[in-house]
Amino acid sequence: MEALQIIRSDNPFPSVCAYICSHPCEEACRRKQVDKPVAIRALKRFAVEFGGDRMVRSEAKTIFPEKNAIIGSGPAGMSCAFYLRKLGYPVTVFEAHSEIGGMLRFGIPQYRLPKEVLDGEIRRMTGMGIEFRTSTPVVSLDLLFEMGYQAIFVSIGAQQSRRLGVEGENKPGIVDAITFLRETNLGLKPAIGENVVIIGGGNVAIDASRSALRLGAKTVNLVCLESRSEMPAFPTDIQYAEEEGVIINYSWGVKAILGKEVITGVELKRCVAAFDTDGKFNPAYDESITQVLLADTVITAIGQVPQIPESYGLKTRGSTILVDPVTLNTNRKGVFAGGDASSGPATAIQALANGRLAALRIDDYHRHRYPRSMEEESKSSIGELSSQTIQAIRKISRYEPPLVPPEKRKKVFQPVEKVYGWETAAEEARRCLRCGSGAEILFPDKCAACLTCLRVCPYSVPRIDQNFDIQIPADQCQACGICVTRCPAMAIALRKPWDRRYIDEEMERYHQKIKITGSKPLIIGFCCQYGLFGTSLLAGLWKTTGAGIWIIPVMCIAKVESYHFLKAFELGAEGVFLAGCGEQCSRENTITEAKAQIKRARSVLAELGFDINQLQAYLPEQKDNNPEGTPEKWLEEFIGHVGSLHLKSLLTVEEKVDRSKSETFK
Amino acid sequence: MIVANQKPLNEIWGMVAPYRRVLIVGCGTCMTVCGTGGEREVAFLHHALRLIESKSDQSNHIFSEYTIKRQCEPEFIEMLAEKIQDKDAVLSLGCGIGIQAIAERFDTLPVLPGVNTSIIGMSTMQGVWLEHCVACGECRLDETAGICPVARCAKGILNGPCGGTKNGKCESNRDMDCAWILIYKRLEKLGQLDKMRRYYPMRNFQVIPRPRRLIKLVAGGNGDGQLSL
Repeated sequence: MEALQIIRSDNPFPSVCAYICSHPCEEACRRKQVDKPVAIRALKRFAVEFGGDRMVRSEAKTIFPEKNAIIGSGPAGMSCAFYLRKLGYPVTVFEAHSEIGGMLRFGIPQYRLPKEVLDGEIRRMTGMGIEFRTSTPVVSLDLLFEMGYQAIFVSIGAQQSRRLGVEGENKPGIVDAITFLRETNLGLKPAIGENVVIIGGGNVAIDASRSALRLGAKTVNLVCLESRSEMPAFPTDIQYAEEEGVIINYSWGVKAILGKEVITGVELKRCVAAFDTDGKFNPAYDESITQVLLADTVITAIGQVPQIPESYGLKTRGSTILVDPVTLNTNRKGVFAGGDASSGPATAIQALANGRLAALRIDDYHRHRYPRSMEEESKSSIGELSSQTIQAIRKISRYEPPLVPPEKRKKVFQPVEKVYGWETAAEEARRCLRCGSGAEILFPDKCAACLTCLRVCPYSVPRIDQNFDIQIPADQCQACGICVTRCPAMAIALRKPWDRRYIDEEMERYHQKIKITGSKPLIIGFCCQYGLFGTSLLAGLWKTTGAGIWIIPVMCIAKVESYHFLKAFELGAEGVFLAGCGEQCSRENTITEAKAQIKRARSVLAELGFDINQLQAYLPEQKDNNPEGTPEKWLEEFIGHVGSLHLKSLLTVEEKVDRSKSETFK
Repeated sequence: MIVANQKPLNEIWGMVAPYRRVLIVGCGTCMTVCGTGGEREVAFLHHALRLIESKSDQSNHIFSEYTIKRQCEPEFIEMLAEKIQDKDAVLSLGCGIGIQAIAERFDTLPVLPGVNTSIIGMSTMQGVWLEHCVACGECRLDETAGICPVARCAKGILNGPCGGTKNGKCESNRDMDCAWILIYKRLEKLGQLDKMRRYYPMRNFQVIPRPRRLIKLVAGGNGDGQLSL
């Protein structure tokens, strides 16, 4: 749930993004430098579905009087509405259609984004106080100003399909993809024949072809000017389409659409190059190489442009609305524009980002502030991983989210991709390098340059600079925490608070609990949050708190120090355990370190008359069929062992008391 | 660097038990580097003592911790003044110098040693120190190719080797390299084997009056730079 709160603070519709986002973040993920990027989108979906989304509320209060009108309830418009509302403005979204969502609802098929997910986000927005007026096309911006709105955001999208411009284009049986998809998503089941040809190489074309399959087409041919690597559609979606049976014909253009009253086929001509030497889109053909594809239906998906009403009085550049790149202002005062309407067709995440930027700019406008350039906000960047570090990092292959097999999924509009389970989600999330949240020498004056950190680091990260000071470069550190626990001067700390999981604070809270309620723990367990112990097992263990098992969650066992174990016994526990991911741990040497800390603590315990098995570690050697048993079984045995020791000690005390009663006191 | 070992826990408890409010003082330099008396070890000892107390029949101890940069500098020791006011004893994890320095400055309080100061050590790998110098005061490492026979030869002979070396190892300690074989080999490498022919008069093994005092000529000092015996 913590993850979900963090996600929701920056993204208005994480559940939508979790299904359909093009994940540019994964392109930037530094794990890519080691093997494959972390599956951030799939993990977001896991967070949304398992993070108790219902309990994370989006609330907003009206602080300012300025009313804002948003035209178009697509991703850009909704994002702008969300952020303006959060900032405290009254917001009304005008939507010409009868349903809210724009391209998210009408352009994206159900097997990629089920409408229940979108409806959930819309409900959340209405709950925040955003007003939606559907079936209300806006004809005049002046009217909106007269109604009292002081700023308008035009986010009408790009919904008009381009025309092919070839012979035969006006025959029946040809439909543009936007119309086709809208009808499909509304459940109207548009009529298609047996042999469908789709023209275009982008995501809309792919969506149309996969939808056509699901509506019952026998053959689906996609024709595009680009070569495979040049196709603008998402590579995974192209792959899914091919798996489902769509035949992709690369590097072909349309010469003519054949047939008299009905379409019988499409004549293609070879496209020798889709882009010219300057990289601009400028298809060149070889008219002598042709082929004919059988077709009774043709769907065109060759690009969309915005339909901008003249009555708006907005200046355009080409087919899109002209906006100032910093303020997002149009030529009319108080009128802003964004999303596909100003950028041309782009991805949903770009529309969301644009809507958010617009909200900030509109806020600047209302409050008479000079807009800061967004550049300032994100200029700090992190360096590349050195080859030495990459070599030392444990290679774990990426866990792809499970897919419904192509045979099954091509017949239905149910989602193609399934969500992770708890285990796979934890395993995939562990691949994260935790960039920027690693160790730093927080107290250089305490550092005695003993070189311990340099020597214990499994990734050889700390280095000696020319002043003989130790530096721990943030862009190489893997945040395992070993140097933090080992530094003899306690001079090193982890940079980000969420990775510290303040063990001392949690133990202090337990200490207070004991003082106030008088209850004592039978067993205290330090459980790694990166593994199963953070999830199902922990959830089960929390329930047994009443039975005397108190859990201290830690972010990796490498952060637990020997004195923590001593403290646990001091709190009154009879048994203490450390549970970690064992061999599954994504960091090196954590097991050896944890065992060394336990050994140290045990040496003290032995001197004090404890049984050293009152302190144990569960560090499974492998994932399944572990010789140590499942976590549950191991814990059961541990509890039994501790219980019997406790009983024994009670009996010994009784014996002592009896004996002392029968002896004379000195 | 000065290397020390922490005393066994029961010995420390024995010393500390009679005092109620004890300040555990760490040292941020040598004792930190050798992992014996730095801030982390102070914390560990603190918790160990508390655990011991919780299992004993006593319950009146109040432990506190403070680590100063070096226990061998008067200015750093002075920074203990405030912390020490309400204490009954100090448990110092500094080397012998530090313990004595604190005891001298705060002479109304018992100062207890938490460590056994052992050697001047050379770090070979993490956690391992070898005694390569015994501070004899007559360094002649130029003659012995940078290898000290006083520290590294079991008999401390100056015109070695004795007849007992076997396969380069010392006859009294089979795991130890014969220092003089090492010296010979290295002099050979340096092309200075003629130094083996020189004769050194015996060292004065009579009891050297201690403490030796070394006054160096430093800014503000007025010594003559000679080690007086």
